[in-house]
Amino acid sequence: MDLYKTLDISASGMRAQGTRLRIISENIANASSTGQTPGAEPYRRKMVTFTNELDRALDAELVKVKDVGVDQSDFSRRYNPGHPAADAEGYVLMPNVNSLIEMSDMREAQRSYEANLRVIQSSRAMLEQTIAILR
Amino acid sequence: MAERPGLFDVMARKMDWLAQRQKVLSENVANADTPGFKPRDLREGPFERMIRGQLAILQPRRTNPEHMTPASAADGPAREHQPRERYETAPSGNAVVLEEQLVKVQQTQVDYQTMTNLYSKHLRMYSTALGRGG
Repeated sequence: MDLYKTLDISASGMRAQGTRLRIISENIANASSTGQTPGAEPYRRKMVTFTNELDRALDAELVKVKDVGVDQSDFSRRYNPGHPAADAEGYVLMPNVNSLIEMSDMREAQRSYEANLRVIQSSRAMLEQTIAILR
Repeated sequence: MAERPGLFDVMARKMDWLAQRQKVLSENVANADTPGFKPRDLREGPFERMIRGQLAILQPRRTNPEHMTPASAADGPAREHQPRERYETAPSGNAVVLEEQLVKVQQTQVDYQTMTNLYSKHLRMYSTALGRGG
């Protein structure tokens, strides 16, 4: 029955957005995780990519997390000669995490999550109406 | 009377169509952030086509079992299609607009409610006819 499939599809969307939110929180938590030795690389920002995947049992396009990749952009440098990871010139490589980007990404994930939730609520209301015919 | 689909049957088919649409819309919402995903929708249901077929005055009739069934009698799952006019497409190639999809979900839900209400109304008319009161 299609309405039950709807619940599974929306749940897959919510799961994917949940994974995305987890990766975002990892990025924010590690926004200032530097290396330990001179010249060592700091934390590299992670990114989630989604893909649609046909579920044969459901005959529906579910959404899956395709890959958790890393952001290849350059690290920023900060002058901090006393830091254990400082190079000869006294600069420390800082992670390429921009908390502003992470925050807006987080809002987007939240918005998509809510949309999936609304669809589930709507489908559930439809199922309840069907059951109410029996009353 | 037997040749015409009963009102119950008509409403059940419409409900079927709406449930199927809800499934397609939920796929769109779930894939709202999938690169390259294009939203889909159902074609006008077999309901409209069927009504047109049933109410047509010049409806081919099968008077002999050897005759072919008229095309309007064939029904099955409604076909999905990708609407041409899209509202906007993100740089990633994703063309899902959440607002648009949620409005469609809401419409589907309201239509479904109309159908279930009509269904129970019709049922109550039967119980009235059977003398059990409204």
